[in-house]
Amino acid sequence: MNSSVLKSVALKSGATVCGIADANAFDVHAPEKHRPGDLLPGARSVVVVGGAQPREGDWAATSPWVMQSMGTTERIQSVGRRLAQYIESELGYYALYVPPGTASGDTPFLSFMLAAQLAGLGSKSLAGPVLNREHGFMYWSAVITTAPLDADGPESAAACPAPPCREMWEREGTTPCLKICPASAGGCLSGKLENGRAVQTYYDAARCNTRVHTHWVGGFQKVLEETLNEPDRDKRKMLLYGDFFTRSLWAITYSSTNIAQCFECMRVCPAAHGRKEMR
Amino acid sequence: MSVFKLDPDVYKRYKDEVLKLCNSFQKIDQPGLSDQQIAERLGLDERTVTEIRCVAERDCYSLDEWEKAIEFKKKATLEWSALALKRPDLKPK
Repeated sequence: MNSSVLKSVALKSGATVCGIADANAFDVHAPEKHRPGDLLPGARSVVVVGGAQPREGDWAATSPWVMQSMGTTERIQSVGRRLAQYIESELGYYALYVPPGTASGDTPFLSFMLAAQLAGLGSKSLAGPVLNREHGFMYWSAVITTAPLDADGPESAAACPAPPCREMWEREGTTPCLKICPASAGGCLSGKLENGRAVQTYYDAARCNTRVHTHWVGGFQKVLEETLNEPDRDKRKMLLYGDFFTRSLWAITYSSTNIAQCFECMRVCPAAHGRKEMR
Repeated sequence: MSVFKLDPDVYKRYKDEVLKLCNSFQKIDQPGLSDQQIAERLGLDERTVTEIRCVAERDCYSLDEWEKAIEFKKKATLEWSALALKRPDLKPK
């Protein structure tokens, strides 16, 4: 089934990019229960949309709390929901909008990053996030469907490592993302390039969670534990009424949209966003 | 009737192994195992592995690490603002 009309609907609805992955292509990469057919039996295709990138003003803001309020999956999620509706109402096939939450703990229902790669929209970077060759870092949403759509193949050339990063590796033995967040010095990442390609990577997801979800579920649980263990009533109050716990509650109650909260590996990445000078 | 409660002794015994086998520490071409695969390898049931993994993911670092994250982001953000806006005065001291 020709997917061009669906892609056109996606772009008109606000997506920056749209691609289709073959649902069966997940089988060799994703563990059981995290494949399209596990969520929607009979799945044939996965429609992936990307967009809602931070703007230059967001990247340049002096407060990290700006990015963690503006950098959100919310806008691209609405495109995903609209596509699911379109597939069912106009094409007459089942369409499952993949929930952006987690299936258990910090594990997603379906890896959006894998979906984006299999739909030919980008490739995994040394820092982890999937980067689109033209638009860099973006947010993703996906719809699993029984519709037999024409699939796009994965990208053949990766955006990462970008030429400036390869040059930096030759010069300094590191790259911008590895330098800003090194696992060897309390960060999340390490890796190695050979002949301009990543041959070793390491990503500490638990530490990344302390940064990317500082004022989120994890932070809430940690302060709550600290509070329950604190015998002094006044000290308990300081913890519960303090900025950390208050900000976490604002975040997790969606009073302010607040999802990703650390962007430092992407901020310094030449492939993630071009540093365009504005007036 | 109550929610599933993991035995703390079971958690302590298997925490490190589960963290090592799941997706918490990712390396190129070494995908983490699913809870079911870990359960088969360690001789546990899947639900127990899921609970061990969920608790361990949060238990991996102390609250201090969350505080360090705030300082890391404040500093990195100001350094970038100084560079992008060509305002060296914004650089953190």
